[in-house]
Amino acid sequence: MKRFLLAVLVISGVVGCKKTASPADENEHESVNKIEFVFNSTGSAARTFIMEDPDGDGGNPPSRIDTIKLNAGTTYTLDVKTYNLVNGVQKDITSVISSQSSSHELYFIPTGITVAITKNDKDRKNYPVGLNSTWVVGSAATGTIRFKVMHKPAGIKGPNDAPTVGHSDIDLNIPVKLQ
Amino acid sequence: MCKKYRSCLFIILVFLFNSDLAAQSCNYTISGQITNKTTKKGLSSIGVLVNPGNFKTITDSLGHFLISTLCANNYTIKLYSKDELLESQTINLTKSQTINFSINLTITDLEEVVVRSKKDDNKNTIKEELSIKEIDQTRGQTLGEVLQRVNGVTVLQTGSTIFKPVIHGLHSQRILILNNGIRLEGQQWGSEHAPEIDPFTADKFTVLKGAGALRYGSDAIGGAVLVEPKSLPETPGTSGEINAAYFDNNRMYVLNGMLQQNVKKIPALSWRLQATYKRGGNSRTPDYWLWNTGVKEFNYAASAIYRGKKITSELFLSAFNTELGIFIGSHIGNLTDLETAIQSQKPIQNIDAFSYEIGRPKQEVSHFMLKSKTVYQLNEWYKMNLVISQQENIRREYDRVFITNRPELELNIGTSIIDLSLEQSERKPSQTIVGITGTLQENVWSGSRFFIPNFESTNLAAYAIRKWNTQPWSFETGIRYDYKTLTTYRNQNNQTRSLTQNFNNISASLGTTYKINNDLRFLMNAAMAWRAPQVNELFVNGLHHGSASFEIGDSTLKSERAYNFSAQLKYEPDSSWNIDVGVYYNLINNFINLVPSVPPTLTLRGAYPTFRFIQTNALLAGTDISVQKTFNRHWAAGVKAAILFARDRIKNDWLLQMPPNRLEYNLTYNISSKKMSNSYVQLKWINVLEQTRVPADFNDYLPPPPAYHLLNIEFATTLQVYKKNTTFGLSILNSLNTQYRDYMNRFRYFNDEVGRSLVLRVKIPL
Repeated sequence: MKRFLLAVLVISGVVGCKKTASPADENEHESVNKIEFVFNSTGSAARTFIMEDPDGDGGNPPSRIDTIKLNAGTTYTLDVKTYNLVNGVQKDITSVISSQSSSHELYFIPTGITVAITKNDKDRKNYPVGLNSTWVVGSAATGTIRFKVMHKPAGIKGPNDAPTVGHSDIDLNIPVKLQ
Repeated sequence: MCKKYRSCLFIILVFLFNSDLAAQSCNYTISGQITNKTTKKGLSSIGVLVNPGNFKTITDSLGHFLISTLCANNYTIKLYSKDELLESQTINLTKSQTINFSINLTITDLEEVVVRSKKDDNKNTIKEELSIKEIDQTRGQTLGEVLQRVNGVTVLQTGSTIFKPVIHGLHSQRILILNNGIRLEGQQWGSEHAPEIDPFTADKFTVLKGAGALRYGSDAIGGAVLVEPKSLPETPGTSGEINAAYFDNNRMYVLNGMLQQNVKKIPALSWRLQATYKRGGNSRTPDYWLWNTGVKEFNYAASAIYRGKKITSELFLSAFNTELGIFIGSHIGNLTDLETAIQSQKPIQNIDAFSYEIGRPKQEVSHFMLKSKTVYQLNEWYKMNLVISQQENIRREYDRVFITNRPELELNIGTSIIDLSLEQSERKPSQTIVGITGTLQENVWSGSRFFIPNFESTNLAAYAIRKWNTQPWSFETGIRYDYKTLTTYRNQNNQTRSLTQNFNNISASLGTTYKINNDLRFLMNAAMAWRAPQVNELFVNGLHHGSASFEIGDSTLKSERAYNFSAQLKYEPDSSWNIDVGVYYNLINNFINLVPSVPPTLTLRGAYPTFRFIQTNALLAGTDISVQKTFNRHWAAGVKAAILFARDRIKNDWLLQMPPNRLEYNLTYNISSKKMSNSYVQLKWINVLEQTRVPADFNDYLPPPPAYHLLNIEFATTLQVYKKNTTFGLSILNSLNTQYRDYMNRFRYFNDEVGRSLVLRVKIPL
């Protein structure tokens, strides 16, 4: 009888002490909080523009959103790169989007400027992705580009989706100056 | 008419209410003998209950019983074995009468029946208990759906899979859920966090309305829910039960099995094992399927009890594991996505097909509980209770596949509670209970979406409860002191910052019952309770899963203090009427309220509507009314109404997200047949009104949905199948396939509610 009681107490005690991680250890893993736009055109140096929110969602608003400055009447190739930035350590996670390209699509929606944008890369169903695109820049003007990464879970993505299909992984208004 | 018996029920429980005698000079008697229909032998220890007047007795060894001091009146005689109703009969008593009953029992060995008293711990508290019939009707559903049957209880829904009980407009941490006597310590941080309990482990569900459950915590300012299992068998033998259910709407099947035994060689030892498996696919509205709304659940529980002469020790272990799909069309990136989703009548991001597959977004929740309870009988009048429990809750929220296959948010909360109390015997006219409780809680999170910080919390409390009877009054009063510390940790710029906060407070409650006469009882409760702000209210800073809202806490929040007054009038003039009118007035100062705020939060993912926790003074007042009338042995009908007014006393406006008024009409036809017992058909008409009491300054994305009507049909019967009393149930929920949306469903912005569902249930005793 007493042994039974003791067992009850011991079992409770043992379970009570188990805890794998201390509450003081906080473990925040990767999310996109830095985006890089790298523009290349033949005969000139690459231009890089950065958007970042080092403390992640909430807290302070994004600390840096560069103005994209491009030459009027020029054709560029854009590579979009995404990073995770924690305590100054930067990790490139662009490959994660490209490996999940059949459930992602990037959109660039210009306002107030003339740019013809063509997405070059395709997913395995031959639907557009947009990590690599060609920009044919029109005449000098100031405006914005709305940059969206839409996440489209299984079966939703189609060949000609409107930018509203899926939910937004990234949605940013980036100022643009064509000069 | 009602012949229901399970071979496992050897124990007779007789309610231990102090039955007081009728005041008039009433000297009629009802006497008789209860015999077994097959053996013709007298049945001993059958509980006999005569109402009105609550007269009770149990049959002697030959099955005889006698109830005296009855008046000329209509009386209902009910026969019980344990708390199972065996038979019920209404008579018009004009002189002393002899009535014999012969009962169709499948077992003959009732000699060893043990008489056991069943105490009612909360008899001075305004409460409502679900009947066995109602419990049977809800088998296979979630705890929230089960409790919704109680008048005054509504559910806060997240889609078609997550149901959270709301008592008189209050939910989450303002409600205490006691699972087998232990405070459920899960993750109640938001509306999409459902209680982690398998209703199959219980056969008694009680809702205490208002703050009164001081013994288990001071923070239950909205009420408490008691989920209790059947007591373990006390006489040798093995028994069991199998439950199966099928829900045709989402093609969900539920299987539950239970096996229990009183060990022959060690009669003091009994045990029980239980398991439930549930698997459902996508739900369907009248118009379309809802992709990714499947559910998978596997639960098990084991319990054992050792009933020694002086010591009774009990061990209970349970595990609850669920995987819930979240409707794909509701998972929103940001404000723009939300607006796009709302503007479309039908969800645009949906796959209109059935599947059992559960993909992202989804939740995985596991809850483990271990409890040991030891009761030591010190002497004739005092006993000591020691209850130790440990709970572990692991919650994983998966938003989408983007960077890793890991959950975006994982929370692991562990809670240890120890409670030591000294209790006086219930045989005394007054009873005192004193006790101390210690709680230690730790929470660890990981993921990419910060929601609440890691924390450690301790709570020390001392309480005293005293109950006494001086007819026609009975009283219960309680007082409790709590000291709580909360230490939170945040890792910022490679430095761990911790913050410790202390809260302490006194709570008190007084409950009283005045028995005006045998037909009429008046209950009154007054309570003063408090609740320390929870860690999410203090420190939340993040996106709420799937609701496209950003929540921001306030670390300077103070404790909520509630002054709760409620009264109830119970009128049961004769067995055919049952009238229950309850009113409540709940003043909550420093009420922590989530309110919309500007500007929206800007992130790389876009803008999010933002909500902040602020404090206001609130008033929640309302009434729950229930009138039931039994016309004859076939027909019965009833009306229920639940009305709530919830005010913000500082802004002088309505509070957000409060349940609208609700009406329910039911009509029952009891089928009497020799082959079937407990058979009935019930029509239930539910009318939920439009919520017009919404704050004027809140610009909701969609106005509250219009009123709706639902017709549910229930049918049940018990048949002898291979000499077993097998119960069959058939329900048609939303039988008219009404297309509607409910104000209390967070997904009302995205999709209609579930359409018609046919439910089949079987209960087989072993």
